[in-house]
Amino acid sequence: MSDDIRRLSEELARDPSSMVFLQLGEALRRGAQLDLALRVASRGVERHSGNADAHDLLARVRVDRGDLAEATAEWEAVLRLAPDHVGARKGLGYVLYKQHRLEEAEHHLGLAAEHGDAAVETALRMVRRLVRYTNGAPAGSAPNGERFAAAERRVEDEARCLFAEILGDGQQTALLLDGDGLVTAGAYVTADGEDVAQDIGAALTGVRDEADRTVKHLQLGAWRAVVYETEVATIALGPVLEDSLALVAAARTLPLGLVRRVLDRCVQRAEAWLTEVA
Amino acid sequence: MSTPYTDALTAVTRQRGVLGCLLVSEADGIIVDADVQVGIEAGVVGALVASLYRRARLGTDAAGLSAVGFLQLEAERGHVCAVGRDGLVLATLAEPKAQIGLIRSAMLHALEAV
Repeated sequence: MSDDIRRLSEELARDPSSMVFLQLGEALRRGAQLDLALRVASRGVERHSGNADAHDLLARVRVDRGDLAEATAEWEAVLRLAPDHVGARKGLGYVLYKQHRLEEAEHHLGLAAEHGDAAVETALRMVRRLVRYTNGAPAGSAPNGERFAAAERRVEDEARCLFAEILGDGQQTALLLDGDGLVTAGAYVTADGEDVAQDIGAALTGVRDEADRTVKHLQLGAWRAVVYETEVATIALGPVLEDSLALVAAARTLPLGLVRRVLDRCVQRAEAWLTEVA
Repeated sequence: MSTPYTDALTAVTRQRGVLGCLLVSEADGIIVDADVQVGIEAGVVGALVASLYRRARLGTDAAGLSAVGFLQLEAERGHVCAVGRDGLVLATLAEPKAQIGLIRSAMLHALEAV
């Protein structure tokens, strides 16, 4: 048990009516202690049934457990209490996407974006792309499920090959990461064939927040690139639209200037691809 | 007043377009020594660059890409550069038109002398 979870548990035990259950439940959820998180969140909702964030926490725990119907019910409860709740809109968008209800998912994600959550922009664009490809298939050509699967495969293929033309056969690779650090496009495969794109993306995406903070406080205007050299590779990061990030990793033998040019081209390509369906 | 780091910092700040060079602790951004132009808030620059460098280093560690060497942040109105070793970060703030290649070289040499 982490120190944070122990401290929050003790605080809640001292005062069971405290709102600290929100932090405790979230910490447990993030720590993948989903049974405990469910117990904490459920008791929180019992005590604070009029609190939207309590229902939101329970919904997030439910969705992590794979209980999509129960999660949907909780997020609907959130929206009855707080119609502009961004977390609930995002959550419902995710659940509806998983259920192949794309137009409804687009509706909720669109509202989340309107209410200022830039991190949802890329997800929204991907759903719109799927809507276009699913609806673009000839009506009656296949059952809905098959048309969705075909559209999903098409998007996956496009995403995987998004930077292929730019990268060629060189010793470099590129990823497009969304606002949560999840891989939207590209690939990162090690020499022994292991796909480590998600790991690399998750580890490096935090640099964006630091870059944003640095240029804001030093009044340097918008940042264009962060390039750094490691012992084995050169990493270049560039902002893409509001929430996304392009990442290029190249062998140390490639000149820095070349890596920087590859990054520029990847950023342009990613922006063009994402805004095709904006 | 001269310090053990004065020569290393001066070697960087004499490059064209450099607005300041600082040696800071990576862990907390506290300044060890600084040579910056009037108007540059050394404390703020040091804290921010140390934090950026630290985030990049932790990220590359987690990603299994080994240690970070030279780091450059390019923005509309300037560049921030950093190199680190043994818990220290040498940070440089430069104008948009600065020659980053020369600054990089000067910083890597300066770090060896620190």
